[in-house]
Amino acid sequence: MTSWKRIGLKDFEFPKIVKYNKKYLSFEEGAKKEVSLNMVTDITSLPSPKIEDNFTGVGTEFILNVKKNYNAGIDLHIPKDLKIKEPIRLDFYLDEKNNHLVDFNNIYAKENSEITIVIDYKSIDNVEGFHNGFTNIFAEKGSVVNIIKLQRLNSKTLNFDSNFSRVESEAKVNFVSIELGSKLTGFNYTSILEEEKSYSNLSSIYLGDKEMKLDLEYTMIHKGIRSQSNIETRGALLDNARKVFRGNLDFKRGSRSSKGVELENVLLLSPTSKSDSIPALLCEEDNVEGEHAVSAGQIDKSKLFYIMSRGLSEKEAKKLIVESSFKPIIDKIPFEDLRSEINIDIERRLIHG
Amino acid sequence: MGEHFFNINNLKVNIDDKEILKGVNLEVGKGETHIIMGPNGSGKSTLAYTLMGHPLYKVTNGEINLEGESLKDLSADKRAIKGMFLSFQYPEEVDGVTVEEFLRTAKTKTWGEMQRILPFKKLLKEKMEALEMDESYATRYLNLGFSGGEKKKNEILQMSILEPKIAILDETDSGLDVDAIRIVAQGVKKFKDKERSIVVITHYNKLLEYLAPDYIHILMDGKIIKTGGMELAKEIDENGYEEIRKKYLK
Ligand SMILES: Nc1ncnc2c1ncn2[C@@H]1O[C@H](COP(=O)(O)OP(=O)(O)O)[C@@H](O)[C@H]1O
Ligand SMILES: [Mg+2]
Repeated sequence: MTSWKRIGLKDFEFPKIVKYNKKYLSFEEGAKKEVSLNMVTDITSLPSPKIEDNFTGVGTEFILNVKKNYNAGIDLHIPKDLKIKEPIRLDFYLDEKNNHLVDFNNIYAKENSEITIVIDYKSIDNVEGFHNGFTNIFAEKGSVVNIIKLQRLNSKTLNFDSNFSRVESEAKVNFVSIELGSKLTGFNYTSILEEEKSYSNLSSIYLGDKEMKLDLEYTMIHKGIRSQSNIETRGALLDNARKVFRGNLDFKRGSRSSKGVELENVLLLSPTSKSDSIPALLCEEDNVEGEHAVSAGQIDKSKLFYIMSRGLSEKEAKKLIVESSFKPIIDKIPFEDLRSEINIDIERRLIHG
Repeated sequence: MGEHFFNINNLKVNIDDKEILKGVNLEVGKGETHIIMGPNGSGKSTLAYTLMGHPLYKVTNGEINLEGESLKDLSADKRAIKGMFLSFQYPEEVDGVTVEEFLRTAKTKTWGEMQRILPFKKLLKEKMEALEMDESYATRYLNLGFSGGEKKKNEILQMSILEPKIAILDETDSGLDVDAIRIVAQGVKKFKDKERSIVVITHYNKLLEYLAPDYIHILMDGKIIKTGGMELAKEIDENGYEEIRKKYLK
């Protein structure tokens, strides 16, 4: 049994995982020939690199649960110097017959390669679902990995997602996390900036409403000299939604002249929503720069009045402000259908919710 | 009372529990231009905000009527739809929303009809040219990083796009250089030519000369203490508000 006091998950027991039988891969034939893209079949015999043993993600039990029970996922290797412009897309759509998703994804970008992966987690009916995932990213020297995760599971579904990246010298991992759904979400992203000029970027948005609970934790571990990390989070909470945000910047010995920036901006759109932000800064080196800025509050009354004075209702004005805050991050999704579905979803919840 | 296009009748307004407006009366006919002058802190902006429906300003007495309909209990957006417009003394910055997107949405809402992208672009371009605004402002975020003068011009741009029935301009001319005042005045005049009504709050005579108003009102101590013509502006200019107070406030 697992409990998370901070978010109100008590006496949680893992369900007995059933099979996930739906097709979730769609990619260009061209891309398929060049890269090695396989369904995960045997996690224990994955080729190099090894999965980080110390990574606990949203919790040791959750990682163990994935390792034992994974029922979907990909193993993706991008050869040296190959830059793939066409994004690879995974659609995980939970439905009545496939209501458990335990995905393990391994993404291995070899030297100077480039790849973009979009993963969409969505409920397509009203079934009580369970998602527990582990995504492991290894970005070798000079490579670029863009990964965009979109989560819009229904309000009966529990969602746990652990993500890890190891970033070598002058490699970049840009992780985008868009959390719009679920009953309860536990999300962890941990990135190790291993070498000189490793670069790790996390952009996220979340929209919580009704009784939704969100626990988001982002950790940047700087080991390499002159490494740079960036965390930028924007959120909005309605109704009785609750959110805990933890952003950790950890500068290990050897990370001299590194820089980490952490920004969170949350709009509280109801007096009964609740937001906690816990930034942490750990330094074993003097010559590092760690910055964090958190702003949480209601929408500025004067701004609201100004917008309303031009004919927009209070809800429309709030929607405008939330959308404009989310837009730069939503615009990073390289698929028009996903962007427009997200906009419709946000509109529905802010105007009619 | 009531036969006018726009009426304010014995309006009393509190901020928190303090009475700021103490019985304001004003009648504005269709196509008329009215000027409100008054010393700092006399309640001019309070009147402007109250007319637009700012929730902080509580109407404790009186009526506000536009074309025979009471606006008093309507929220700001509903008043905008009825045809009210306020050019803010201090316009707000809205990050992430371009001038064009914002105005297209605002026009859609106030006019109740969808504004198609291309015709709207054309309209916006036209209006911006008339105000000698660079095209690039259309794609900039609303008022973000605009200078004081640019913000004021942007307010007039909004007015000329939305074409309200009555516009209140709260110190739109302050912060503008002489050229900008001339351009803004031309914009206001064009608006006036379409039988629209305007209430201009100002300190300066420059704008008055351009606008040739029908009436000038002096707001002091929460009331309009005197209404007249251009000669009043001259009197204020020559003698100052203290003399005016002595003369007209019993
Ligand atoms: N938001 C506010 N809170 C408290 N007092 C205010 C507020 N706005 C205006 N006042 C007070 O109301 C009076 C009138 O202010 P205002 O209407 O801004 O004057 P004007 O625009 O004529 O300079 C002043 O005494 C001012 O201090
Ligand atoms: Mg004022």
